[in-house]
Amino acid sequence: MSVETSKGWEPKIVAFACNWCSYAGGDLAGLNRLQYPSNVRIIRVPCSGRIDPQFILRAFAMGADGVLVSG
Amino acid sequence: MKRVGVFVCECGTNIGSVVDAAKVAETAMNMPGVAFATSYKYMCSDPGQDLIKKAAEEHNLEQVVVASCSPRMHENTFRKAMSAAGLNPYQFEMVNIREHVSWVHSDKDEATQKAIDLVRMAVAKVVRNRPLQVSYIPITKKALVIGGGIAGMQAALDIAETGHQVILVEREPTIGGKMAQLDKTFPTMDCSA
Amino acid sequence: MVAVAQHPNIKLYSYSEVVGLSGYIGNFTVTIKEKAKYVDYDKCTGCGLCETKCPSRVKSEFDLGLGERHAIYKAFPQAVPNKPVIDAKNCRKLQTGKCGICEKLCPVKAINFEDQDRFVTEEVGAIVMATGYDLFEWEKAYGEYGYGKYPDVISGLHFERLVNASGPTGGKIKRPSDGKIPQAVAFIKCVGSRDDTKGKSYCSRACCMYTAKHAMQVVEKIPGGEAYVFYMDVRTAGKGYEEFYQRSVERGAQYIRGRVSKIYPRGDRLVVKSEDTLIGKPIEVEVDMVVLATAMVPAAGAEEIAKLVGFSTDKDGFFQEAHPKLQPVETFTGGVFLAGACQGPKDIPDTVAQASAAAVKVVALLSKDQLATEPMIAYVDETKCTGCEFCVPICPYQAISMKPIKTRVHGETVERQVAEVNKGLCQGCGACVAACRPCALNLNGFTNDQIVAEVDALCL
Ligand SMILES: Cc1cc2nc3c(=O)[nH]c(=O)nc-3n(C[C@H](O)[C@H](O)[C@H](O)COP(=O)(O)OP(=O)(O)OC[C@H]3O[C@@H](n4cnc5c(N)ncnc54)[C@H](O)[C@@H]3O)c2cc1C
Ligand code: SF4
Ligand code: SF4
Ligand code: SF4
Repeated sequence: MSVETSKGWEPKIVAFACNWCSYAGGDLAGLNRLQYPSNVRIIRVPCSGRIDPQFILRAFAMGADGVLVSG
Repeated sequence: MKRVGVFVCECGTNIGSVVDAAKVAETAMNMPGVAFATSYKYMCSDPGQDLIKKAAEEHNLEQVVVASCSPRMHENTFRKAMSAAGLNPYQFEMVNIREHVSWVHSDKDEATQKAIDLVRMAVAKVVRNRPLQVSYIPITKKALVIGGGIAGMQAALDIAETGHQVILVEREPTIGGKMAQLDKTFPTMDCSA
Repeated sequence: MVAVAQHPNIKLYSYSEVVGLSGYIGNFTVTIKEKAKYVDYDKCTGCGLCETKCPSRVKSEFDLGLGERHAIYKAFPQAVPNKPVIDAKNCRKLQTGKCGICEKLCPVKAINFEDQDRFVTEEVGAIVMATGYDLFEWEKAYGEYGYGKYPDVISGLHFERLVNASGPTGGKIKRPSDGKIPQAVAFIKCVGSRDDTKGKSYCSRACCMYTAKHAMQVVEKIPGGEAYVFYMDVRTAGKGYEEFYQRSVERGAQYIRGRVSKIYPRGDRLVVKSEDTLIGKPIEVEVDMVVLATAMVPAAGAEEIAKLVGFSTDKDGFFQEAHPKLQPVETFTGGVFLAGACQGPKDIPDTVAQASAAAVKVVALLSKDQLATEPMIAYVDETKCTGCEFCVPICPYQAISMKPIKTRVHGETVERQVAEVNKGLCQGCGACVAACRPCALNLNGFTNDQIVAEVDALCL
């Protein structure tokens, strides 16, 4: 994941967001133009119940610095 | 090799003013499986949807990625456009570069980079999509109404009037519910039974 | 009411309850328990002779104890169906074996003391919940109003029975204690409503209006009658409602803004103590009867029936709509719709509107021959499924069941169990997929390899 590094070290964050709540919350943040750092990448899942621990481990193994699970 | 088409929407200036849509499309061209990529002002508009149709024919596309607004908003629009273009509507992924990128970030380079990453993610996903078919289940053309107060009676009558069978279950010896116990009722003060 | 009973497309199961339900949208199977009525409705003509000589008399539920009924009874003269039932608990014949008067009186031999509860099953495609409401049991919560000790402190529904021409007093407003016509009546609003500590936090919506109606009935029906209404607010949001309330004030109803702190007897009258918050002074009014506008609460058994049908209730036990603004008659369970006060307190105009809305949703569903189902649901790779059944209880929608399949192992045919996903029930949440240890379950549109590929693409 290529995150802008000119400003120094930035953690790479992978977020798993439930379509019905957190992903929709992300949409709401957009509608309200709430600004937040750009180093988070959201993967949409149908429900937080869909998230298999292997996905989280995979993200860390592939070099993510943080994983956010939200649902 | 799969043949993916990538369409990056500018949403007027909603996306275009923060994300360099042309650059996203250009970068997408080099992603594995991508056969065609372009940017356009309004993907959800009729000409935008036509663009998918034309590109599907010209470039023999099998799968499509649209990077635009939230899938919660337009996923269905584009699934329909897929069908119209002769493609399986489930060979489609949507990338949210408006609510999740252009509206919440202001640094153009960072936002463009994030959009590129999200498109790469969607391309990786779409090439693994199976063509799905909507399936059909039968319907028993009969309704059950539980409770025979004014609510249940009205619903039962309205359904029955359309010619459908209704089963009305009331636990008391009589239907009518509370309304049968009332005298005259507001606001008209006519009788209730 | 009669229109319902006579409609050729409506089959009425009165004195019955839904006791079992399975299936999913378009394909439900219901089990209905028809309680024993001890009267054969095919024979009964509804003549009412049987009731006349029944020696057993008990308080009438329909009249909220203000009147009496027999053991064999119709709830009220216009009941639908207009045929009696025998209340077994109070029937002498059924309890002691001695009596049977009604049986002798019945000209068509409709009485059947051997009758038993019957269970029938029906197939339906859609369900409307319309179980309504009950009234908050103020007697358990409001000590300051006497915990139900004073017979002349009654609820609004009791008052309705008193003014009703076919009620126990023939429409004369008489107070329960001594049958005297009350000269002064106090009304207290929001009893159990808008009261976090003793009752419910919500507004019951119909009480302001029916109290205005009752106050008007007192001043109009009782010569020289006085009506005092103790209120917190007067809420008249509805077409013609404010005008209705104004009319009750014009006709002489006196509105006093304040919460009643105590009711106590003085002679054969009742003293209502409150504060008039508009003038900031304590106030005492002596009246002959007090009517409480008690909160609407979900009908008894609402929680159980919601569980049975498989949808949720809200914090107060009312049925939960799918969206408060955009899907007010849908539930989270496909094919199940809501109408009336079971979804939340409401008056008749709103109830009727919601019932018609629910009917349209039902008809929209029933007018289709088939139902398209979203294909982004779970599927099973039977070769990988070990039959552990781990997924079955995980599914929040009860979509997974086990089925036997035949496979060949070392040249022999053996039968084993594998999971099967019901396409009508699966909502595509993927909870089962994450739980399946041999990775036999997967979710269309969100497969394991797709999500892993997404993770990889992002972490590149
Ligand atoms: C004192 C008073 C006066 C009122 N006056 C007015 C008025 O003047 N104007 C007005 O618009 N509104 C008035 N209302 C409000 C009105 O009563 C309600 O709006 C209306 O009755 C709601 O209808 P419903 O069918 O939803 O519920 P209900 O009338 O409660 O009917 C529900 C029915 O379902 C049955 N049931 C419950 N559970 C089950 C089960 N598990 N299985 C089978 N059957 C079941 C019950 O036996 C009942 O017959 C008044 C309310 C009160 C308390
Ligand atoms: S048999 Fe039962 S219902 Fe019939 S008259 Fe006697 S007590 Fe009443
Ligand atoms: S006497 Fe017989 S026919 Fe008449 S109401 Fe009673 S049960 Fe029915
Ligand atoms: S995806 Fe969800 S709803 Fe479907 S079978 Fe699995 S657990 Fe049940």
